[in-house]
Amino acid sequence: MVSKKLTIVNAQGFHMRPASTFATAMGKYGCDVNIKHNGKDVNAKSLMNIIAACIKCGNEVEIIADGPDEQAALDEAVKMIESGFGE
Amino acid sequence: MLKGIAASEGIGIGKVMIVEEHSLEYTPKTVTDTAAELARYRDAVDKFCEETTEQADALRKSTGDKEAEILEGHIQMIKDPFMGGEIEKLIEEGGQCAEAALEQMCNMFIEMFSAVDDDVTQQRAADVKDIKSAILAILLGIKVVKISDAPAGTVLVAKEVTPSMTAGINKENIVGIVTETGSQTSHSAILARALEIPAVLSVEKATSTLSSGEQIIVDGSTGDVVTAPSEAEISEYSAKRDAFLREKRELENYRGKKTVSASGEEYELFCNIGTPKDATKAMEADGEGVGLFRTEFLFMDRNALPTEDEQFEAYKQAALVLKGKGLIIRTLDIGGDKDIPYLGLEKEENPFMGFRAIRYCLKNRDLFKSQIKAILRASAFGDIRIMFPLITAVEELRAGKALVEEAKADLRASGIEFNENIPVGVMTETAASGVIAHLLAKEADFFSIGTNDLTGYTMAADRGNSDVAYLYSPFQPSVLIMIKRIIECGKAEGIPVGMCGEAAANPMMIPLLISFGLTEFSVSAPSVLKVRKNIAKWTKDEADKVAEKVMSMATEAEVLDYLKGIV
Repeated sequence: MVSKKLTIVNAQGFHMRPASTFATAMGKYGCDVNIKHNGKDVNAKSLMNIIAACIKCGNEVEIIADGPDEQAALDEAVKMIESGFGE
Repeated sequence: MLKGIAASEGIGIGKVMIVEEHSLEYTPKTVTDTAAELARYRDAVDKFCEETTEQADALRKSTGDKEAEILEGHIQMIKDPFMGGEIEKLIEEGGQCAEAALEQMCNMFIEMFSAVDDDVTQQRAADVKDIKSAILAILLGIKVVKISDAPAGTVLVAKEVTPSMTAGINKENIVGIVTETGSQTSHSAILARALEIPAVLSVEKATSTLSSGEQIIVDGSTGDVVTAPSEAEISEYSAKRDAFLREKRELENYRGKKTVSASGEEYELFCNIGTPKDATKAMEADGEGVGLFRTEFLFMDRNALPTEDEQFEAYKQAALVLKGKGLIIRTLDIGGDKDIPYLGLEKEENPFMGFRAIRYCLKNRDLFKSQIKAILRASAFGDIRIMFPLITAVEELRAGKALVEEAKADLRASGIEFNENIPVGVMTETAASGVIAHLLAKEADFFSIGTNDLTGYTMAADRGNSDVAYLYSPFQPSVLIMIKRIIECGKAEGIPVGMCGEAAANPMMIPLLISFGLTEFSVSAPSVLKVRKNIAKWTKDEADKVAEKVMSMATEAEVLDYLKGIV
């Protein structure tokens, strides 16, 4: 299992578009990917669960990947969040 | 005439087209051939995705990428492995029919999204509703009316405008939208504004009172819907529509430009905001920063004080949105007129002259210090400035500044980052602060004139009382003298002076402010381009002449009479 703590930097947070690209990107990996937010684990492959979690700009999250390709999944997740989803 | 919420500016004159809703009722049943039912469900989803892609492509051409993405999001949502998987499970393992399985999962998410205290997330509930209706319609074999076939000059009248409906809207043909539900921030409103179609929402019983084919006028600027308009009304509104469109085109020329007078002096043009979300609106409106961030929202409608962390998150969020642009945060401005039980503010005879704002904060040091610490911590993320409201004496400013220093020392001791040189300014909004502006200017880093209260306190007149409201005017010579004095005292000490009251956006006030030497105008987001345009009209010399004349006048009536004649 690998994980990393991050702060959401794009102004709108995990709104529709970032959540959608993020879930699609994570869906490619075989490992489990979760976003820990406010003490709850959110399935990073599910757009609907990410939206329900209401993750905002400035929020702290922890990305946790667990499975065979966990490092690759974590690296991509971190890159996407740190770049503010290119916004 | 019908009345609703003005949701998208402009005027539309046309013939009603009622968009009827179809009954999507069905009798839930259990299925034995679950494989066939699953295939039926998957076919419906495929068809939905196909139609939605077509609609998104059409929308991309007519409106733009952003709006098309909302629709494409619907495909992502229904294809969500979690939601899709659960629906299929309900069919395969639970033997439910496709309609019931779809509805059960969709309703779960609709409830979940609606329960989150966040507008954007709540909007997603509307998306799920839209997906549910669309797929149910496919499953039930219901044909939906095509809005794309509406003839030119159509006013759409519906219970609510769904994102998928919007996709069919041809901007050339639809001149107005009227709905029975929705608010300023609902999907219908956002899409109507993106399409630049005048819209009035929340008009009760619109789909039953209006009938297809009748002529109506939609005024999206006032929220009026004129039924059976007379010839005179039609020509009146046509003229209004043309003027609106002309002004809009002109204003767009000022987007992305500097705020500069005709003689080349540059000004800062900021926005007034009430929540971090408004910061986004300020940026979209082309504001150059925030001249007044009211912090009361953090303290209202709750049972206990917000924590320092909670406040920090809100201030930081606004700072990040502004990306280094100026952000003036006003400390808590609250008194006995507001009902916030947990603050223990007592009802008093005259709350506006009583225990409020800086007076209350200086007596409740823990509360005040936690707000200041939160602001200081957020100052590591942007150009944040602190502003104290209701200052009437130099001691108050000194006490406030001392507390800022204490808070800084605490943060330093804990190794928390903040801006050591954070500016601390005064909201000059009392008659006293105007009279001692020369003293305050020596110890404040900036002034911001709050004209609403300054007018009230200077004239000793409550604008809410119709018997004395005639006295309440920033164009009263006494108020103008105050404004001029505050700006000049600030200038003499070399500190910036802004104005965050409503008067800053008044075209008649602008030449006076230019002449007095105001450096920053802070206005509501929708006024930004108008104010920029108005500032660009004046040279400093012309403004000086106007100001000289106005300051020689003895009555408000004379001042208004003269100013109305020149703007």
